[in-house]
Amino acid sequence: MDKNDLIIRVAGEGGEGIISTGDFITQACARAGLEVYTFKTFPAEIKGGYAMYQTRASAAPLYCQGDTFDVLCAFNGEAYDLNRSRLIPGTAFVYDGPGGDFEPDVPPGVYAYPIPMTQTAKEMGSIRSKNMVALGALSQLFNIPEDALREIIVAKFTKKGTTVVEGNLNAFTRGRELAAALPKTDPWQIKAPESKRDVVVLSGNDAVGLGALIAGLEFFAAYPITPATEIARYVARHLPKRGGTLIQAEDEIAAVSQVVGASFAGKKAMTATSGPGLALMGEMLGMSFMSETPCVVVDVQRGGPSTGLPTKHEQSDLFLAIHGSHGDCGRIVLSVEGVGDCVGLTVEAFNLAEKYQCPVLLLSDGSLAFSTQTLPYPDPASYRVVSRKRWDGKGEYRRYAITDDYISPMADPGTPGGMHIATGLEHDQDGEPNYTAANHEAMQAKRFRKLDGVVKDFAPVETDGEGEADLGIIAWGSTIGVVREAIARLRAEGVSVKGFYPKLLWPMPAEQYEAFGATCRKLMLPEVNFTGQLAHFIRSETSLRPESYTICGGLPFTPAMIVGKAKEMLP
Amino acid sequence: MNMAQTHLHKVELLPKDYKTDTKPFWCPGCGDHGVLTAVYRALADLGVDPNYLVNISGIGCSSRLPYFVRSYKMHTLHGRAGAVATGTQLARPDLAILVNGGDGDGFSIGGGHMPHLARKNINMTYVLMDNRIYGLTKGQVSPTSQRKMKAYTTPYGGVEEPMDPVLYMLTYGASYVAQSLATDVKMTARLIKEGMEHKGFAFINVMSHCPSFNQIDDAKYFKGAAEELPEGHDVSDIDAAMHAVNVAHQEGRIPVGLLFRQERPTLDEYMAELVKQAGGSPDYDLRKIIDLARP
Ligand SMILES: Cc1ncc(C[n+]2csc(CCOP(=O)(O)OP(=O)(O)O)c2C)c(N)n1
Ligand code: SF4
Ligand SMILES: [Mg+2]
Repeated sequence: MDKNDLIIRVAGEGGEGIISTGDFITQACARAGLEVYTFKTFPAEIKGGYAMYQTRASAAPLYCQGDTFDVLCAFNGEAYDLNRSRLIPGTAFVYDGPGGDFEPDVPPGVYAYPIPMTQTAKEMGSIRSKNMVALGALSQLFNIPEDALREIIVAKFTKKGTTVVEGNLNAFTRGRELAAALPKTDPWQIKAPESKRDVVVLSGNDAVGLGALIAGLEFFAAYPITPATEIARYVARHLPKRGGTLIQAEDEIAAVSQVVGASFAGKKAMTATSGPGLALMGEMLGMSFMSETPCVVVDVQRGGPSTGLPTKHEQSDLFLAIHGSHGDCGRIVLSVEGVGDCVGLTVEAFNLAEKYQCPVLLLSDGSLAFSTQTLPYPDPASYRVVSRKRWDGKGEYRRYAITDDYISPMADPGTPGGMHIATGLEHDQDGEPNYTAANHEAMQAKRFRKLDGVVKDFAPVETDGEGEADLGIIAWGSTIGVVREAIARLRAEGVSVKGFYPKLLWPMPAEQYEAFGATCRKLMLPEVNFTGQLAHFIRSETSLRPESYTICGGLPFTPAMIVGKAKEMLP
Repeated sequence: MNMAQTHLHKVELLPKDYKTDTKPFWCPGCGDHGVLTAVYRALADLGVDPNYLVNISGIGCSSRLPYFVRSYKMHTLHGRAGAVATGTQLARPDLAILVNGGDGDGFSIGGGHMPHLARKNINMTYVLMDNRIYGLTKGQVSPTSQRKMKAYTTPYGGVEEPMDPVLYMLTYGASYVAQSLATDVKMTARLIKEGMEHKGFAFINVMSHCPSFNQIDDAKYFKGAAEELPEGHDVSDIDAAMHAVNVAHQEGRIPVGLLFRQERPTLDEYMAELVKQAGGSPDYDLRKIIDLARP
């Protein structure tokens, strides 16, 4: 069997080194020049519980986590039980045995490799090196670059001293020996490409932090919440190097308030949260819109409603992102497909906030937050960075002057003659409170007309495929990558299918939706939520009537699910 | 206001030079007029450059004050003035930050922010205009209203015990805590001035009567209840300050003057130190950060 990509899943008890094993595999594959796309689940609780880390590696570009694994490495009985149904003929199965806590009943057609991980680690004097035994075995069996792994192990443990480094390397070697003693019967092999590209490997959350730095982030405030906290961790580590300031706020209301305060002071400011935090920020988003103060809010969506499923994947904050706040409150909403977008669209979020002086929300999601992916080295100079229009100091300053494009130049505190008030009260062009009908209508029109330029400003929606098609698939967020892969497979089977991948979700590029819809006989819209949130907006803003395909089990779609649904729709 | 920075922006102005064209919208006889007069005086005494002054408020009658003060300003949301001001101050430590708001604004809806402004020692001056009532919404009890007060939503009299703002702020770790009466413009102006000179979070509770909705705590009542701090009160002694406030609170008296003052680093100073240690500068090459993500 010659497949150009391989998916390895490591599963077991959280705390047994599952995550670091997966990380090592991922880093080693990326070093060898392969594309990687990882997918993780871990327990909401601090100690124990089932954890899983899956690495997909390929010489060709990767868009999603795939359907299922080719190789499973089970550290314990629970991992085996939870994944048993996916041990289909042709998969390889590496497990802890003999001496583990379970005796698997290996299904027919599965290539099984018992490796006594626990027993070997104990014999070698440290149960903590169990994952290194497993890593060695996986490296031997599937050709995960040995030298790269050794380097990574040394780098990782150097701080803990030579004894720890030696112990881990020995366990790794022992794992390789144990596997070498077994006959290799399966076809799975990592194949490193000839040429290497200049890449980085980043998680979605870290990439958002990097995007913000590239955009010129100067102030960051946030309150910890899963699955967004890593953004704060990344920013906390790197923003001080750039001379910026950050604060851990007492709650999300304070965080977004601080962002608005810093932005008023003339700085590029951002906060990052998840649904529960965004729900608390609603009132201040209104203040940002009303007072025309730029404000960037990242929402890494998780399973809701309420506290919901904190560590699980869902795309269910679109209603909140687009309409969450009282009154008629405009804003711009973007959503990211993958780690590359986490960098690029975060830059774009700042650009739009600065240009249009309004709240900009960037939606990411739980699976992307922790997914690490390769992307071409992001050269900071290759990104367009926009700063707000500032008053030129000429004439009388009017903060909310109605201009040709409805955008009023701003004045940073300290600018002589630029004194003004930023207020949440309805006001006239000078910022003076004014509740007359004529003024409210004129100023609401100003604030909304200003946003008319957004659709034109933003890159046109990417369409996958040309001409007429039997089926069009509209997708947003990380579901886009799944659809890309599904479409490739459907086309290979001769199905006539197109894709439409909006990243500017609000304001809605309605004409582009219409144009796409006009070329497709049927439309499918898969999204990971219960109510079909994007479908709802499409129905209200366009004449299209896509067939909603919704799931909300805490996991993303797989390409196979989209392929299945497409075949159902095109009998 | 951090004097080290604001002396850069010193100007010579008269109190009236801080007035805007907007006429104060408060009821005749409202204590807030007195607070505003004191603010003008304090700013003139200090010589604050209005271009470097940011006056931030929440929502309430008292929160309208910035409209009448020549400065950069923000009229924010109910309860959020302190949080917004935190962002402004940290982003631009060279600015002088003056915050105004009511008792409901600061201690009811915004009560969650107060401890953090104080303990983090955010460099700003917070003038709370305490009328022991919700003025703007036409007279409901507030967290500082006396129990048994009959008001809009307490027709049989209120049933909650009031809190004491200065006692809370001392407990929360504010580095400057003072109290005065709106009718005593001179003392209020002096305390605001000192508060703005103080490096760190300065909290000044001004008893500002509301003749329209609070007939119990009127100007006369506040005058009668006010009590100067004992001769020789040591403003560096937190125990003495808390004791004085505690006893007065139980006896229904209102200690006025500077209760407590402490010199300690502000959050922006700690941040600046951290940035310095990181070798921080906007010119820091981003590539060095991106390189860390190479496999
Ligand atoms: C979120 C929110 N809830 C309620 C209100 C209504 N509201 C406006 S001012 C106010 C109370 C004002 O009392 P205080 O803060 O003591 O100020 P004062 O008017 O007494 O100076 C209330 C409840 C509001 N503006 N926003
Ligand atoms: S209602 Fe009370 S607090 Fe408000 S302006 Fe009138 S007197 Fe002052
Ligand atoms: Mg009040």
